[in-house]
Amino acid sequence: MNEKIKISTRNLSVFYGPKQALFDINLDLVENKVTALIGPSGCGKSTFIRCLNRMNDVIDLCKVEGSIKVDGKEINTKNTDVNLIRERIGMVFQKPNPFPKSIYDNVAYGPRIHGLAENQEILNTIVENSLKKAALWNEVKDRLNQPGTGLSGGQQQRLCIARAISINPEVILMDEPCSALDPIATAKIEELIDELKKSYTIVIVTHSMSQAARVSQNTGFFHLGKLIEFNLTEKIFKNPDNKMTQDYITGRFG
Amino acid sequence: MSKVEKIKLLKKRYKAERRFKFYGILSVCLAILFLFILIINIFSKGSGAFFKTEILLNIKFDEKKLGLNINSSDKEIQEANFEEILKDALLVLAPKVPELKQAELIDMVSIDAALEVKKFYFYNKGVLNKIAEVPLTLSDDLDQVYKGNFPRDIPEERRRFSDFQLKIFDDQISKNKIVYKFNWSFLTNADSREPELAGVASSLAGSFFTILVCLILSFPIGILAAIYLEEFAPKNKITEIIEVNVNNLAAVPSIVFGLLGLGVFLNYFYLPRSTPLVGGMVLALMTLPRIIIPCRAALKAVPPSIREGALALGASKVQTVMHNVVPLAMPGTLSGTIIGLSQALGETAPLLLIGMIAFINVVPATPIDPSAVLPVQVYLWSESAERGFVEKTSATIIILIFFLIIMNSFAIYLRNKFERKWS
Repeated sequence: MNEKIKISTRNLSVFYGPKQALFDINLDLVENKVTALIGPSGCGKSTFIRCLNRMNDVIDLCKVEGSIKVDGKEINTKNTDVNLIRERIGMVFQKPNPFPKSIYDNVAYGPRIHGLAENQEILNTIVENSLKKAALWNEVKDRLNQPGTGLSGGQQQRLCIARAISINPEVILMDEPCSALDPIATAKIEELIDELKKSYTIVIVTHSMSQAARVSQNTGFFHLGKLIEFNLTEKIFKNPDNKMTQDYITGRFG
Repeated sequence: MSKVEKIKLLKKRYKAERRFKFYGILSVCLAILFLFILIINIFSKGSGAFFKTEILLNIKFDEKKLGLNINSSDKEIQEANFEEILKDALLVLAPKVPELKQAELIDMVSIDAALEVKKFYFYNKGVLNKIAEVPLTLSDDLDQVYKGNFPRDIPEERRRFSDFQLKIFDDQISKNKIVYKFNWSFLTNADSREPELAGVASSLAGSFFTILVCLILSFPIGILAAIYLEEFAPKNKITEIIEVNVNNLAAVPSIVFGLLGLGVFLNYFYLPRSTPLVGGMVLALMTLPRIIIPCRAALKAVPPSIREGALALGASKVQTVMHNVVPLAMPGTLSGTIIGLSQALGETAPLLLIGMIAFINVVPATPIDPSAVLPVQVYLWSESAERGFVEKTSATIIILIFFLIIMNSFAIYLRNKFERKWS
């Protein structure tokens, strides 16, 4: 297969104080593919993707051990500039969290702090393109100056996706992006993910088995901090190797 | 449980509910009643100070007696003696009185009446050698008689005014020569030993400078300390101790800060005594924890998702905090600051210790001029014997409460206007 590995982790373990949350995770994320991570609550999926853009640094007691390589370069070191990593690896959260600023400023914030736009015109273009890519442009183009918090939940989440792609990252991490949304908004986001994978590598944590089956090409199943099985989505859902995976996707536990 | 028992129990529960509501309403009513009594009391005592009585006196501006002519310079007017023409005009009110009673006549007007005549002439130079009707401030005693605060029917020897003065005064009232009008000089004059002349301008300016110094010092220091403690400081034993002590500081009696100011600012650094500069510094110490605590609470109330959103975009810690967190915490911080400042505005004890209790009869122009503040002015006047100071005390409280209400309403306005509803 002609697949390029974008991010690979080796023996990745995470500790919250004395409690170990992840055990020796070895996982490869393929470029321009959607990788879904499934598993029961508290199994470490979110902890895992938060390692990839070093968001766990924010938590005082959290300690990350092991290797995380992006394009073959180690990022889990003290010397790594986390701001640069986060510029390359964007993130969309479980609950839509637009800044309490205007829709325009929400999207323009990233380009502004990273100095991506030399003038207003370029910034306008970036904002427009990001909103178009996030399939939100047509709904908000007439009210860019209104607060982002005034949008509906689904629109807010797409605004957050527009915000994440405004700085043109290489990878987008999505932490249960649809858990706070209704089915229609969810369908829109899923469509969007399908579109976005052409330009970005996407990792999505989800509780919905059907969502994982619909949007992803690869799926990893986590349980109690361990990666139980990782394979092509089709294989996982039709014919998993592991008994536990089988039980989980058929709804017998979790 | 039978049906009858159940109904009984239900009735009991409703009864308890009604009882609780009654107690609640009763306590609210009591609180409002006390507040109402306080306000009625202060207003009924103090409103008089906003009005004053003046006598319209026909004064002949005799050029020989004044030693002035039409071309006299301002300086000559300044040095001229207006006492004599004032005395002449007063004597006209009761011609042929014995010499002894003349002093009583002169005592009927304020001690500064001659100055008022001078001022009148200064703006109306055309009256030279003519007779003009000049409004002059009456003495405090007669002012109080007019306002009905001094009973007339007690024996003469126990009054501060004589039957003779009272007779002339009533005579003038019947001639419509006594006017009762708004007392601007209460707002524009500095403090004075004469109640009819005393005003709050000096303490108003003193309070303004003191609060200004307090704000300039405590606001930036308080905000920076709060932001650092809340957003940047590592959570360990040291920050824990600091946190506890900030809270302790808020509970320290204010007079202790006054002692600190006396010991450190005055006796060690030799900063000027009795000045708003030192007063503001002392009050800033007191206000600091009262800014830090609400500011930290406001920062804490900003949902972590906002911080994560910015951090995940690659914003640095400072950018995240300054661009996204602090603006959201500002309304809460500002209303906390205003409430802290309004407490500082009403503070008396620490200022007494650094000498802001001195008698100041000029309006301070800078924060390093000696001055009093409004609450200290209340304290000073409340100790004075003259009847006029009683109403001035209450009137100063009215002014103080007026400013406190304005500041607190502004704080509430800020809180409501900028309050964010989190999704």
